[in-house]
Amino acid sequence: MLTPEDQALIQNLLNEFIKKSEAQWSALVDKGGNLFAQQGNTGSLDLSILSALAAGSFAATHELAKRLGESEFSALYHEGQGQHILMSALHCECLLVTIFGDKTNIGLVRFYAQQVTEQLNAILKQIQAKEATMAPLIVEGDFLSSDTAAIS
Amino acid sequence: MAFINYSSREIQLKIVYYGAALCGKTTNLVTLHKQITHAQKGELVSLATDADRTLFFDFLSLNTKTLPGFTTRFQLYTVPGQAIYNTTRQLVLKGVDGIVFCVDSHWDKMADNVESFANLQENLIENHLSLAQIPYVLQYNKRDIPNAAPVNYLEYTFNNRANRALAFEGVASTGKGVLETLNAAARLLLAKYSKTPNPNVTGLAKTDSSSIVQPLPDSPQQGSPVAS
Repeated sequence: MLTPEDQALIQNLLNEFIKKSEAQWSALVDKGGNLFAQQGNTGSLDLSILSALAAGSFAATHELAKRLGESEFSALYHEGQGQHILMSALHCECLLVTIFGDKTNIGLVRFYAQQVTEQLNAILKQIQAKEATMAPLIVEGDFLSSDTAAIS
Repeated sequence: MAFINYSSREIQLKIVYYGAALCGKTTNLVTLHKQITHAQKGELVSLATDADRTLFFDFLSLNTKTLPGFTTRFQLYTVPGQAIYNTTRQLVLKGVDGIVFCVDSHWDKMADNVESFANLQENLIENHLSLAQIPYVLQYNKRDIPNAAPVNYLEYTFNNRANRALAFEGVASTGKGVLETLNAAARLLLAKYSKTPNPNVTGLAKTDSSSIVQPLPDSPQQGSPVAS
């Protein structure tokens, strides 16, 4: 569960990160493919798909790491012709996904990603502790009448 | 696990279509992508081989306004059915909220179906989950083939637990039962967030409700909680 306060904190950190690193877009996603927060611009890209593919890609890499006797590869880098992706492992089953172009370089992005990773980890730990004490979400009233479909 | 964002008033739920190789999981998503008109849908993404066999997963995202005050985003995934891709199936199950288990009605596929159902339970355990915790529905697919196994037999084989799951007959290639199956899964997932959840889960199918499999005489009424 992410409260508006948590969301604002994370958005600020991501915003600061993309400004310093000159990355194009950065997001906090979980390893199940859920998008938690994002900053920057990806044009018309579908962010759900981006998150699902990033989580899948990282999960496959995690399995490779396990088979090599590593507990986890802490970062994963995909280099393209003009755009590149860096994925960094976070605590609480989360990932930091960053897209950047030729305006910056992997060294700079990696440097600032390591900094923001520590800050995000601290927030994620707080959220996890808080979540254990939060009441479950219950919405007033019935969500659907009996003769309507949820999806049509 | 469902992700709730109070800031954007959004709930994200992950539904995984599971089943043996070639049982129709991808066809379900392809048909849904064509059939769904009202919900805001994303692009259908398939990570498949050149021969159109699922290699990693298929993915389809649907945005709905089903819970008052919240946008519900259903993220639909399929798993690769082939035996060699078991690690991939475990990965796709990570963070799952609900499952649609597709059963191929062909007699010759029964062993594969049973093996896949057992494999699902093993892989849930790998993810520290179980069918007792995760809402699931069954879809008896390919009901149009001439030598389809009788529904009673499928119910006996796959739905013979103390708490019966909702089961639907389907022909994914034509669309029969596809929306009904997804809606049943969606309702089961949403019920946990409603103060007064509508227990009439079987009544949710807007079209072709005749495809809902009738419970065996000794089974509890459909629509009761799937698992506890």
